[in-house]
Amino acid sequence: MSERSSSTSTYLLVPILLIAVLLGIAVIRGPNLVSMSGFGSAIIVAAPLTMATYSLMSLAVAGRGTVDLAVGPLMAFINVSIVKLNMLEVVTGPFGVFFVALGLGVLYQLFFAAVVIWVRVQPIIVALSGFLALTGINLVILPRPGGTAPEFMSSWGIGTTIFSPILLIVLIATAGWLLFTLTPFYANLRMMGYDERAAWTSGVRINIVRIGAHVIAGLFIGLGALCYTALISSGDPTQGTNMTLTSVTALVLGGVSLSGGRGGVTGALLGALNLWLIGYVLSTFNFGAIQAFITQMSYGVILVLSLLLTLLVPVIGRHISFISPWGAFVVLATIVVGIMLQAATSALYLPADPLTALAQGPLLTRYLLTTPAEAAQLGLSLSPFQQMAFLLATAAVVLVFAARLMNAEASARRMGLFLYIFVAVLVLALFALVAGQGDLTLFKGALP
Amino acid sequence: MSDLPPSPRQPLIPIPRSGVMIWVNLAAALIIAAIGFGLGFGQGIAAQYVILATVISTAVLLWLLNYIVVIFETRADQPSADPAQGRAVWQENRVMVIAMVILLIAYLIVTASVPDFRSVTNLIALLVLEAILLFAFKVSGRFSTGRSAFIGLIVLLALIVISSFTIKGFLSAPNIKAILLFAAFLGIACVGQTLVALMGGLDLSIPFVIGASNIGLLFLIGLGVPSFVAAGFILILGGVIGMVNGLLSYKLQGQALILTLGMGFAVAGLTQTLTSIGSAFSGNVFGSVPKWLQNLAAMNGKTFGLAFPPTILIWIVLAILVIVGLRYSAYGRYVYALGGNRRSAKLIGVSELKYWTLAYTLSGVFAALTGSLLLGWSGGGFIGVGDPYLFTTLAAVVIGGTSLMGGYGGYGFTVIGVLVLQVLSSFLIGIGLKYEWQQFIFGLLILPMVALYGRSPHIRAQV
Repeated sequence: MSERSSSTSTYLLVPILLIAVLLGIAVIRGPNLVSMSGFGSAIIVAAPLTMATYSLMSLAVAGRGTVDLAVGPLMAFINVSIVKLNMLEVVTGPFGVFFVALGLGVLYQLFFAAVVIWVRVQPIIVALSGFLALTGINLVILPRPGGTAPEFMSSWGIGTTIFSPILLIVLIATAGWLLFTLTPFYANLRMMGYDERAAWTSGVRINIVRIGAHVIAGLFIGLGALCYTALISSGDPTQGTNMTLTSVTALVLGGVSLSGGRGGVTGALLGALNLWLIGYVLSTFNFGAIQAFITQMSYGVILVLSLLLTLLVPVIGRHISFISPWGAFVVLATIVVGIMLQAATSALYLPADPLTALAQGPLLTRYLLTTPAEAAQLGLSLSPFQQMAFLLATAAVVLVFAARLMNAEASARRMGLFLYIFVAVLVLALFALVAGQGDLTLFKGALP
Repeated sequence: MSDLPPSPRQPLIPIPRSGVMIWVNLAAALIIAAIGFGLGFGQGIAAQYVILATVISTAVLLWLLNYIVVIFETRADQPSADPAQGRAVWQENRVMVIAMVILLIAYLIVTASVPDFRSVTNLIALLVLEAILLFAFKVSGRFSTGRSAFIGLIVLLALIVISSFTIKGFLSAPNIKAILLFAAFLGIACVGQTLVALMGGLDLSIPFVIGASNIGLLFLIGLGVPSFVAAGFILILGGVIGMVNGLLSYKLQGQALILTLGMGFAVAGLTQTLTSIGSAFSGNVFGSVPKWLQNLAAMNGKTFGLAFPPTILIWIVLAILVIVGLRYSAYGRYVYALGGNRRSAKLIGVSELKYWTLAYTLSGVFAALTGSLLLGWSGGGFIGVGDPYLFTTLAAVVIGGTSLMGGYGGYGFTVIGVLVLQVLSSFLIGIGLKYEWQQFIFGLLILPMVALYGRSPHIRAQV
């Protein structure tokens, strides 16, 4: 039993590894990422992609090779509908806009489900049909990019703070899916995705389950369109194809199986973040005029490579079953957060002149990692040898703790309480750092 | 759908068994020919043309009607459900009746609301559409194979009839030439998609390979490589890309869609990067297209002195080769065998890897060929030239009736699909619809067409 359960999320190893590497490079290349506005804009830019990937994910889990190629045009369709209705002053309030966005998404997906279930056409053909029809109608609704987003959204897309309504939407969507996984409906959904005939013969009402999956996908895409509208604060009928291609890529990067039955919100989230990070990392290199081509090529190469890596998943699962994805996540997250802290606070270690060094003194107490420096300042002088020994001991303790956790978690189906606490502490530490850094730059700016 | 008993060989001249049917057919053919005769004189066409057309149309109609009757007679031996009760009749025909009623209501609503819509041609169009529905539901079911081709042909015919009624100059030589030329581009690009679909795969890298070969060829020519060598090199490169696609997607069964998409991204990005290194105009490639390539694909090209571009001839030859090859060569039969049932094909010793990879390689070669021809047509390199082919190749294959699950269909079907798409597109342009409306209508068209013949069985039939 324990062996089997460990393999349920082995597929997450690839995206986790990828995100750790990418995040490390991203922070080293562009330290601006680790700040309130950096994270804030990251969330806002990545949110539509994330939502589109969620939508694809919930359909992919439902099986039959359902890849809704129309996800991008659908998002653009809802986007231009919102903008058009706003410009005609039909629907301008928050409730109306939410209702329109979610309603359109759900309506389209209900139609999709009905065709797949009762007309019994392959989903890929319905998706193709929807893609062409929606791409066309988008340009009819709004011939060129333009228009204005509803008034209440104007402040959403600024991205100077982490706590924007966009983050709330992403969190609600993620939490919603995680809560949904606790229901028996989800078990039926996965079973249907994995083997539809087996599900049908064992009495699962597959039509209802399929409709449910599509409704959820519709809700996600509606939310995604809201995020997208907030991001560009206008209407854009032309970006549908791009959004489809990138979100399908993100889906695969997240390790979601396109043949159904495997996948989850974590994978989709990681995939979308990975894709965004690839773009971010590439944008830190200055390729000049061929930037767009390099980005496109890297998307392609990484997509193919990560597909090939998924071939290794069974091998990994068989041979190194003692590594649980969550354990790997925690270890890698520690390393990456370390890099982040280093990148964000590296300025502190190099007191350019005594004045700033003095001024920064009290601030240092806020950071965990700067404790040795702080100790030295307080007069608790340690010799280099003692420092080394202290660091080694800490590293050993951490290593043992991590190894123990990994071993314990390898057989667990979900993250244990310890891991939850650990991740929460990590996130809090990072947040404290980022929040503090805002003060820091403010403070530095005030100095002569 | 492929396990029907082999139909007896049809004689060249079909003669129905019942004498009454012959007379009925003859009468129908003569009546229709007489209508044409009257119309011809009504339009004031020269008498000998009218007589010639009448004689030919009578003969063809008679042959067609007899052919259908013969098929019905051979089918009639099979037991059919007894539609004794009215309920059973309704059960059998409800989809058709509902579809026809919906069409009628839509027509009435549009007619009532839009004054410009009230014209004789639109009424004729409605009647033709209703007739297509009737045909599609009632007649096509009687054909054992090629049902989708039958529907496709009827739709094609109806489209041509409606278009020539509505649009002035639709049947003029330049327009037909244009339709055929664009159909040739799409058709050549579809060869690979058809082969791959027959084996149950998909190739979404086609548009990217088209775009990449388009600018790649111009780039090579710009570097001073002799144009024939450059074109050959591009075709080989396309084949190599296709082969990589095939090998990788063979490993990753079921993920061909995504894999080819990723390969396409990589290829397009790489080509653009390579061609823009050391160039001040990133992404734009300049160069002069050689004369022979221009002549090959441009609208005013000449084939052995005849006034149509050689691309059309290439497509026709290619189509014949592919159709015959798929039908009679060992390669073709093995492709069907693998697509139909991979396991059993493997058990009789068909190398899956070989044929799978070969299909993808051919797909790459033909995509590169399309890209090169498009360069001759446009005279300038542009990476986005392949973009419309991302879904139209799929749409043509699907509308033609080749199953995306593999094992059923053929390139002949795809040719019909390509022609339907092109004629429809020409019709939509002709009545003044913009590109976006065309796309919308294409999208809406695919679904009902596939629903007519491409439905998968109910789950209870699969267990």
